[in-house]
Amino acid sequence: MRVLLIGGGHSAYFAANSIRGIDPNGKLIIIEFTSEKVEVLSKTFPFAEVVQQEIDGVESYIRSNASILDAVIAATESDSLNLRYCKTARENAVPLIIAILNNPMNEGIFAKEGVRHVINPYGIIPVELSEILGSATNIIYKTPSGSVMVASLRIEGEGELRKIRGKLRGSEDVSALLVSSSGEIKSSIEEADARGRLYLMGSEEKLRKILGSFRGRRR
Amino acid sequence: MKVSVIFPTKNREHHVKRAVRTAFKAKGVEEVIVVDGGSRDRTLEIAEREGAKVIVQSDLVYPGKGVAMRDGAYLARGDVLVYLDIDIRNMTPEFIEKLAEPVIRGEADFVKGCFERAAGRVTELVAKPLLRMFYPELARFKQPLSCEIAGRRSLFYMVEFERGWGVDVGLLIDFHKLGAKMVERDIGYKDHDMKPLHALTDMAYEVAGAILRRAIRDQKTDPEWAERYLRGVRAIDLGLQSGRGFA
Repeated sequence: MRVLLIGGGHSAYFAANSIRGIDPNGKLIIIEFTSEKVEVLSKTFPFAEVVQQEIDGVESYIRSNASILDAVIAATESDSLNLRYCKTARENAVPLIIAILNNPMNEGIFAKEGVRHVINPYGIIPVELSEILGSATNIIYKTPSGSVMVASLRIEGEGELRKIRGKLRGSEDVSALLVSSSGEIKSSIEEADARGRLYLMGSEEKLRKILGSFRGRRR
Repeated sequence: MKVSVIFPTKNREHHVKRAVRTAFKAKGVEEVIVVDGGSRDRTLEIAEREGAKVIVQSDLVYPGKGVAMRDGAYLARGDVLVYLDIDIRNMTPEFIEKLAEPVIRGEADFVKGCFERAAGRVTELVAKPLLRMFYPELARFKQPLSCEIAGRRSLFYMVEFERGWGVDVGLLIDFHKLGAKMVERDIGYKDHDMKPLHALTDMAYEVAGAILRRAIRDQKTDPEWAERYLRGVRAIDLGLQSGRGFA
């Protein structure tokens, strides 16, 4: 795989290491704007080709190399630049375009501009906190397309346990795994106990329906 | 030459419609960009509806005018960038044209707008004395802190954007250091919201900081002296001035 990673900050650092792990034999090109950072990046990522470009030059680089690129990842410290580069990559038919956001509030703006793969690096913080602090319902993960979602639900009392059993009996396309209050993993909802936590995997639409009937009544 | 107009905003739903429409009427304007600092009102929705390109500035926790201006420059595609405050109640297309024209005609690389108003307190008491001290060649600018500016887009990529209120004077010094042709243009009377006195404390500190940081960078002052001066400004802010003085 031939990946162009734009940016030399924290997001780009983690992206570069991930890409290396995913495809050790692939070609990684990193673009940075300043010569000082290019020097540091070359030492930090000896497996990558680090290129210095001016801000406007990156678009020309994408245009010239679009036909041989499998993916463009825009991970600069400005969402404006990320948006610009993603749009250029899209206009030049790069197969996979990914933006790593600085400000999660820009997610919708990127989606409107046709950038399908938008990573919010801070998205995991509320999820982790909710899990640790014991939030009643919690969306742990969903695929960018929304086709699969993983969520958790804390069961409080026999009434809720009966209710969730009823809902899952009619939902064969939803997988469930229960962690009991003592920490044991149960694969069947029938073995579930009240005060355990249920982990569900299924389509986003289906899971939101199930979770929706439990939300609202809870903190 | 294509012109991009950039408005940094935050909770400006009552101004955004008029500002974006006015900007689109100005000669040469190809795009209007609204860079938001996390509005809780309908600013972004209205801006988008009026045809502006919108983006929320990249720094979520400490959004500042400088970050918004930088992000606006990064999103822009025009050859000439024009920055304006969005709350100018009497804004007309001529405001924008007066700022952009010297750059379009090749008479300037950077244009600072000046306007009729009572002398700004931070301008007169902080910016001008410090500029006269370290950058006397910029003392000719009547309003060095004016937010109404225009310049070649490519040059905005070669300067440092201060995060907060120091951004305007910082750009003035940095464009000067680049050797850019700079002019000041009178854009007439500007009717906009004035900041209350207490809100000027942070602004004064940030403006002083922007000038002094550049003076240190350009080896025009002793870093220790500049640090003491800034500490002194902060002590005044906090009511802690002890009479020790700071130079």
